[in-house]
Amino acid sequence: MENGVQLNAPTKTRFYASIGLWLTAALLGVLLVAALPSIAQESTQPVTFDQVNEIARQLYCPVCPNETLDTCQTQACIQWRDEIRDQVSQGETPQQVIDSFVRRYGDRVLGTPQDPALRALSLITPFLIAGLALVVGVFTFLRWRGRPRLEQTAAPSGTTNANDNYRQQLERDLRE
Amino acid sequence: MLAEIGLSALTLAFCAAIYAIGASVYGARRHREPFVISGRNAALLTFPLLLVASFALLAALLTQQYQITYVWQVTDPNTPLFYRITALWGSQQGSLLFWCLIMSLFAFIATMVNWRTNRPLMPYVVAYTMATLAFFIGLVLFLENPFSRYWITPDLAANASVPSYAFIPLNAVAPSAQSLAQSAHGLNPLLRHFGMIIHPPMLYFGFTGMVIPFAFAMAALASGDLSTNWIKATRRWALIAWLFLSLGLLLGGRWAYDVLGWGGYWGWDPVENAAFIPWLVGTAFLHSVMIQEKRGMLKVWNMFLVIFTFSAVIFGTFATRSGLVDSVHSFAQSTIGVPMFLFWGGMTIISVALILWRWNQGRLRSDRAFAGLLSRETLFVLNNVVFVALALTTFWGSFGYPILTELFGSIQGTLRQEYFQMVTTPLFVALFLLMGVAPLAAWGAMSARRLGRAMLVPLVLTGIALIAAYFLGAKTLGALFGYGVVLLAGFVALYEIYRGAEARTRGGKESLPLAFVRLFARNRRRYGGFIVHLGITIIGIGVLGSTLFQLETQRTLAAGESTRLGQYTMTYNRLLPGQIAEDGRLMDIAEVSVTRDGGSTVQIRPRHDWYPQAATGMNQMNIAGSYSSLEGDFYVLLSGWSQSDGASATFKLYVNPLINLIWWGGLILILGTVISVAPSERLPASVRERAGVRAGAVA
Repeated sequence: MENGVQLNAPTKTRFYASIGLWLTAALLGVLLVAALPSIAQESTQPVTFDQVNEIARQLYCPVCPNETLDTCQTQACIQWRDEIRDQVSQGETPQQVIDSFVRRYGDRVLGTPQDPALRALSLITPFLIAGLALVVGVFTFLRWRGRPRLEQTAAPSGTTNANDNYRQQLERDLRE
Repeated sequence: MLAEIGLSALTLAFCAAIYAIGASVYGARRHREPFVISGRNAALLTFPLLLVASFALLAALLTQQYQITYVWQVTDPNTPLFYRITALWGSQQGSLLFWCLIMSLFAFIATMVNWRTNRPLMPYVVAYTMATLAFFIGLVLFLENPFSRYWITPDLAANASVPSYAFIPLNAVAPSAQSLAQSAHGLNPLLRHFGMIIHPPMLYFGFTGMVIPFAFAMAALASGDLSTNWIKATRRWALIAWLFLSLGLLLGGRWAYDVLGWGGYWGWDPVENAAFIPWLVGTAFLHSVMIQEKRGMLKVWNMFLVIFTFSAVIFGTFATRSGLVDSVHSFAQSTIGVPMFLFWGGMTIISVALILWRWNQGRLRSDRAFAGLLSRETLFVLNNVVFVALALTTFWGSFGYPILTELFGSIQGTLRQEYFQMVTTPLFVALFLLMGVAPLAAWGAMSARRLGRAMLVPLVLTGIALIAAYFLGAKTLGALFGYGVVLLAGFVALYEIYRGAEARTRGGKESLPLAFVRLFARNRRRYGGFIVHLGITIIGIGVLGSTLFQLETQRTLAAGESTRLGQYTMTYNRLLPGQIAEDGRLMDIAEVSVTRDGGSTVQIRPRHDWYPQAATGMNQMNIAGSYSSLEGDFYVLLSGWSQSDGASATFKLYVNPLINLIWWGGLILILGTVISVAPSERLPASVRERAGVRAGAVA
């Protein structure tokens, strides 16, 4: 009733229709808000096997000896590959995924240690060994060169000529 | 009855070995010939005794004597006959017995062949071989006895597991044969492959074969006969042992490629490296003995190398059998860990002490000095340096670093493929470069100019080959450099063979084909060696191709759907689930069609095997299907499938270019070694004598 005047039928219809419209709009709004996360998920790029394996190849199974995550077939490794998939689908970069595995399972999941001191120890030591072997070899060579020769070594003119001479002598002897 | 026979034979063999050591050493030191002969006979007796023990175990396997613990562990009623035989070396106890058998066989042959020709050395050779053999028989007899049996003792609790004993406990009864048969384990599924059937025996032949040169070297030190006699006596032994080691490594790689389901063949695993290290040091030894034979140099170095090889063999055996590779602490929990460590340490210390003793006496001086930097002997020494460096870096990565970090740090550090690829690549490059230069250098002095002239043709050929490689797809600098280094070594080998044959045709006396044949016949060691180098080159090409240009992907396909990788198109046809093989395993087989561009279509069947009786963790295998050609493999693994109907399946696909060159190169390497080992044509004695004088003058 507006200003004490009772509403007629067409006015009532428009009134109820507008209420219905508002209610519907409100319901739609609620549904839209509730659906937002699913819509966000549906719009994420599917993660391929190759993307997962690209990261898994750089990680090692913390349980199985010397197996990369992309090839290990144990249940634990399958779950870890699923974890990689989830993390990539949430937008994490490969390095972030690798770092999260290192945080949880330690350097053991990587091929080389991350601690600078251990990394230096692991990588430099073999070259030190090789260098030491080379030094010993060179030292021995120089020492032998410095020693008076017990027997003069003939300076062959070339392997082929020496072998030819030897071969000719053998052939002659065989014919005798 | 079989267990009693086996135990008795083992015990007698152990006693014979111990007696042989004492009698031989006593007889040699006191010049008492009867004791020396007696010691020899006792050593010879160990082989037939161990043969009896091995046959007893084999008979138990074939007749399904499940009361014997070892039989129960490695077979079950469904095991086919073939795998019952190979189960002899299928697990720790049996493989240790098999090791003893092979070592006794080698000791038998070495003693018989060399008794007259190297008489002063032989008592000590017998002592050292029997010392090693006695140790391993002791391990088998007292710690890892394959003849122990299950017995139910009166005081055994109702649900307790049945213990095993070597001898019958008082009032014990045997468990029911039927219950034993039903619960038997069966052979480890990983071992049901031809590669794994032959791979362990080949490695054992290689490992035990290296004991003989070691024994001769120690005999030379102990007896004071420090001429080249010990090297001449053992050169073929070392080569044959090296041949078996090479075969064992190749077969192991092939097994890994076929069975382990990761598309590769070498993972720098500690177990692999435990066999690789003796191979590296053995290769260095084979090269440096040539220097001692021809120039009388490197006597101390060769002694160290042969000890290093033997030490690497024992350490590798210790590391893989004791659990050291899992943890430095677990080795002490293994029954054989501590004894093996003590034996390894003791033998190494005694051997080094002997060398230092003789060195101090001045008995190991070189007969000559190095003539020049570009001489063959200098380049061989460099070659040795690289091989030893490779061995030490591999040891550091697999054992040294993990052990040190666990002993002195709070964690067990591990170094994986990335480490090995980083540190070994430059060393392999150096090795191939030396393979390309050293064969062209002369014994004694050689000028850089002359060496450069000799390298001209191989360098030109390498350049041409690299141009072809570029147009075939090797477009990166790294790939071209790698191929260049490897191809140079191969072309040098081919060029040297050609030069030798061509020199023989001068004067028109021989045609080129006949010259080739006669060249190999007269100089088997040298030209067999070039064939070995050629084999290594081909392996190198295969390794480069399959590493640098491998393609990989994983796809899920519906039945009838196709996918493409490289120049291959694959179509998934159908799944055949639940197939039952004759040995009781269940197979889920995928049928796929593969077409190479411009080629025919082939059907391949990657599958998944499940072994119901095997222990958890070892009861599933992923067997690849592959389309193979000389150009490479298209390699398919079945990763998963829709359980209900196989309407879709997931596959892991690889294209491995040139991978089959690795196996073919291996065959060529074997051929070259066989040629090198074969005896040369026998010339009349007067000719040999004169040729020996001439050879000295020419060298």
